[in-house]
Amino acid sequence: MFPLQAADIKTSQLSNGLTVMGMEYHKLPLVHITMMLKRGSERDPQGKEGLADFTAEMLTLGTEGRDSQHLALAMERLGARYSASSGWDASFLEVFGLSEDFPALMDLMGDMLLRPTFPQEELQQCRQRRISRLIQQRDQAEVIADEIICQRLLENTPYAHPAYGTIPSLGGVGADDPRAFYHRFYSPEEAVLLVIGDLTPEEIGQKAERLLERWKAPEKVDYQPPSPTRPTGRRVIAVNRPDLTQSQIRVGLLGVKRNDERYIPFKVMNYIFGGGGFSSRLMQRIRAERGYTYGIGSSFEAGRIPGPYVISTFTPTATTVPLIEETMKVMEEFITEGARARELEEARNFLRGSFPLKLETPGQMAGELLQLVLYDIPFDYLASYPAAVERVTLDEVNSLAAAYLLPTDLILVVVGRVEDFLESLRSWGEVELVEYSEVIKDCSPSSTSKHTSTT
Amino acid sequence: MQKITLDLQRDQLANGLKILTLEDPSHPIVTYQVHFATGSRNERPGITGISHLFEHMMFRGSKELGPEEFARVIQAHGGTLNAFTTIDNTSYFENLPSDKLELAVRLEAERLETLRLNQENLDTEREVVRSERKLRTVNSPFGLLIEQLFAIAFDQHPYQWPVVGWDSDLRALTLEDCLDYYRRGYAPNKAVVVIVGDFKRDKALSWVERYYGHLKPQPPLATSPAQERPQRGERRSIFKKVSQLEAFFAGFHCPAIGDPDVFPLLALDRILSGGKSSRFYLRFVKTGKAVEVQVEVDPPPFWPMDPGLLQVYAIAAPGVPIGDLENEIWAVVEQIQEGKFDDQELAKAKRGLITSFLRGLQSVFFKGLAGGLYEIKGGDCRMVNTMLDRCEEITTDDVQRVAQRYLSVDNRTVVTLQPITPEENERLEPME
Repeated sequence: MFPLQAADIKTSQLSNGLTVMGMEYHKLPLVHITMMLKRGSERDPQGKEGLADFTAEMLTLGTEGRDSQHLALAMERLGARYSASSGWDASFLEVFGLSEDFPALMDLMGDMLLRPTFPQEELQQCRQRRISRLIQQRDQAEVIADEIICQRLLENTPYAHPAYGTIPSLGGVGADDPRAFYHRFYSPEEAVLLVIGDLTPEEIGQKAERLLERWKAPEKVDYQPPSPTRPTGRRVIAVNRPDLTQSQIRVGLLGVKRNDERYIPFKVMNYIFGGGGFSSRLMQRIRAERGYTYGIGSSFEAGRIPGPYVISTFTPTATTVPLIEETMKVMEEFITEGARARELEEARNFLRGSFPLKLETPGQMAGELLQLVLYDIPFDYLASYPAAVERVTLDEVNSLAAAYLLPTDLILVVVGRVEDFLESLRSWGEVELVEYSEVIKDCSPSSTSKHTSTT
Repeated sequence: MQKITLDLQRDQLANGLKILTLEDPSHPIVTYQVHFATGSRNERPGITGISHLFEHMMFRGSKELGPEEFARVIQAHGGTLNAFTTIDNTSYFENLPSDKLELAVRLEAERLETLRLNQENLDTEREVVRSERKLRTVNSPFGLLIEQLFAIAFDQHPYQWPVVGWDSDLRALTLEDCLDYYRRGYAPNKAVVVIVGDFKRDKALSWVERYYGHLKPQPPLATSPAQERPQRGERRSIFKKVSQLEAFFAGFHCPAIGDPDVFPLLALDRILSGGKSSRFYLRFVKTGKAVEVQVEVDPPPFWPMDPGLLQVYAIAAPGVPIGDLENEIWAVVEQIQEGKFDDQELAKAKRGLITSFLRGLQSVFFKGLAGGLYEIKGGDCRMVNTMLDRCEEITTDDVQRVAQRYLSVDNRTVVTLQPITPEENERLEPME
């Protein structure tokens, strides 16, 4: 099973264009089924943000032969779990259960995928659930910070909203919208079925063919991914929540695309800077030396477009400004001094050595394989990954840091008791102050009932 | 379905260190875990949170390694690592490429023996832990409510205080407290080493002997935690905080990990709130009355060692009065107490428990935890191999009986969140 070879994955294509992939896993009597549609919330219409994710859930809420409760019962009587959701670049329908139930699980999944009915009552309940959850999330400072940083970094692109939408945009989802989204975008030509389980490739292939061959492709929809622009200058967005004793802090930059040839060097650079836990410079300085926080790290989302590259942390109100200043120093030092040979060596060892840890379970393998498929990266990547990591040089790392970790061009978001440190923030950059009442303005019963009655 | 067992081998060094091993060469990784039989249940008022703070101190350096260097070295060899503290145990682990096992054995033993405990490290880590407490508890939507729930439900047993500790204790803990805790809790006879994955047992045992064999055992802890008295009558309280929604958290005293009633309680949890066909989901969440209604229990091996709390919590949807929602929830529980559920519902619950357990067995890390935590909390790692049978044996009578016995009104404690405005919040004393 390891190293995972391209030959371990049996791939075929049905006449309607659907790609079917099967992989044997015989350690336990389990099966992991994923249907990936290479279209996600980047296709949400303006004013209806969250529609892709909404549509995905609607698939599970009623089919020609079964209502939502019937579907749930049928799955859970088999001990199975199922979910449907969308991310920025793709949508997923996933089922996990016992391999002996594979035919029944596939029938249920096929039913959801090919014969959804989008019942009106379910649609209204689904919207109400989603809006209520969003209202509850307004209390979570970390969610507010994450939403704002992504929104500002990707302004004026379809990626500027969370995949789950916003309270007003969910209110704008009309009765026929999920059905229309489904008919427009759910196409076998843009979909991949991946099955990993205690089964033979023949069992997988035959079942998929019998069940999904009849799925018809709609007309192709042209789509050009946007090119977000990297921030210039420093912008500060400060959300004032006086009841917090600790600030949530995000420093936002942009990273690289998933199929960028610098993706692996970028991973190495980020490991050294802030992605490597206690091995990273951020954690070493901000937590281990200064004790300002329990956690600090940086991560980048590499998708169809260069996604956010964000430093995330939190610290008590009193240490908010010192932490931000120290973080900027770590960025500056990385650019001016560069990475050390030992850091490079350790980063490469980690990424290479820990690779099998990330490919142990069927769920992990499915995640990795589907990411490769989504971004058109050949499966040879799996076998060549260690060597590609080994080839990363100090020069590559340092030039990436110099190009991407600019302390002069970034967006800073702070959610906390801002009144205690507003003046210090002002001395550091232009501050846009957001009051808490603004964050919760869509939460009042009057505005939610207005949204929920919009059908 | 085929019989699935974990063939864990048990060995013990002369100093009392227990070693559990399970070879599985199917994937080139290995997990190395050290579980100590000490958690917040072994603390006392005044030093609450010391178990967890001490877990942090274990990363602050030893004779060979500087602060946080342990993590750096393990990662530099392709490993991942972490640690966690619970009410019952403190556990350290490394997941590694299979050829790096000896490194983990050596470094875990080295820090156990030569930990660098000094004032500077304590002061840094104290602030880190206070930041962690603010993150997970003080500034989280419901952390302080759950804290209040345990503080009210228990008035004798140490489960009354949070694992992270009270902030006043965190501020007051001294180096002497840490040294004392180290001496008492971190001895070979209080630990279980677990190794699962792609390795050779003989070789691994020789490494454990080489690096741990010379360590001296400590006398056993003199006292076991105070026993909680049975609860006679419901306890209720209110907690005010800035919040968009109303919520309540309830707790019912329930039995310890070794008790046969644990499994019918797990089935009860599934019937009430396991999945989208569960009673709570269909009645409250699907219909939009609540954002969430959930039974919260930790399935073994995470189930508490002493009698703990089965929690039921609900977050009301906007405009839904929390009192009405609570009454409706208890009415659903009463139906189970009256036996108004059928074999099919139980069969579904059991099937769900079984696939969940199998899902865990996909990773060597979980297999190690299952063995190690059962050994620490239940006294025998092989209890893990009885779990599937225990699930199969559950009857409808069992479920009805445990619902009546444990989910009674007299055994219930409820904390209700009462939302206030930021202005009202300013008038109340700040929470730390």
